[in-house]
Amino acid sequence: MSTEVAPRKKRLAPYIAAAVGVVVIAFLVVLAVSSPNESTVSSSPLLGQPAPEVKSTTIEDQPFDLSRRRGSWVVFNFFNSTCVPCRQEHPYLLSFYDNQATAPTPAELYTIVNDDTDGAVEAYFEANGGAWEKVRDDDGAISVAFGVAKVPETWIIDPNGFVRLRILGALTENFLDEQLTRLQQEFEGAQ
Amino acid sequence: MKVVKSWPMWMLMAILVVALLAVGSNRSDGPRTQEDRIDAISKRLACPTCDGESVFVSQASAAQAIRNEIARQVSEGLQSDEEIVGFIEQRFGGQVLLVPRATGLDALVWALPVAVFVCSVAGLVFAFRRWKRQQGGEATDEDRAIVAALLSEDPTEEDYR
Repeated sequence: MSTEVAPRKKRLAPYIAAAVGVVVIAFLVVLAVSSPNESTVSSSPLLGQPAPEVKSTTIEDQPFDLSRRRGSWVVFNFFNSTCVPCRQEHPYLLSFYDNQATAPTPAELYTIVNDDTDGAVEAYFEANGGAWEKVRDDDGAISVAFGVAKVPETWIIDPNGFVRLRILGALTENFLDEQLTRLQQEFEGAQ
Repeated sequence: MKVVKSWPMWMLMAILVVALLAVGSNRSDGPRTQEDRIDAISKRLACPTCDGESVFVSQASAAQAIRNEIARQVSEGLQSDEEIVGFIEQRFGGQVLLVPRATGLDALVWALPVAVFVCSVAGLVFAFRRWKRQQGGEATDEDRAIVAALLSEDPTEEDYR
């Protein structure tokens, strides 16, 4: 009978299984830690670039041209009256709008109507408040120009017409005010 | 039928197939209408709010908005198909492309399957050769002795039962 010991075979399967296990656990941790109700500042190739051309009309049939807003901070809020997160963030937009009335460098807030009718938007704002302008985007050109696929999204454009911030999802309390103040301080520091 | 066995012939056939595929895939379809261009571009783009649907087939508002933008740019006639696709990609990100580009990190999508295929074939060739070597070894003296012993035995009646 042979007493030779067969060479031990390298077993890859346990290592592969361990690697897959680590990836799955990491994925679950990311899912568990992330909060769906948090405003998220997002990247975009438009950040730091001149804002896309925006020419449209408001739901009151007034012309709107973003290039004519130079010299002011502009906030675009992409909105749909049937979207639940849009409704959730509405109180924070109302307080932001009120705060801007007394701010040293007030920003202009505009709702960009995403895939919605004038009537539905008017009814929503009549019931929930919000005296700022609502800009039509009937063919979706403004949404595509900014790369907006889902609402709500909020964008900040500086007085020189450059895109400064993109916020994905519903706003949380004071988030927009804080971000705008930070950007304004950076902007003034750079002047 | 004569079986082609020589590897140069196989190589020639492979080169011919690749060349024909390359020519076929890059062949111009000739003049196209604006509608043809809009359809062709929207078939290359994924609806950003749906799973696995192209902008061409999707009824989502985001897909409709992208189709409108494609139609607008096509009607202006200033941008090529690639430039329009590039514009949409720049706005919505690389995930809007149904067929990933063969550059940068996206190139892995193309390179990895080929690499896996080549490695698999090489591994199989290596494994087959090793098995063949193990099975087709020379008979040892011990093997010959066993065969000789068996051949020298007289068949008994039990063998025929």
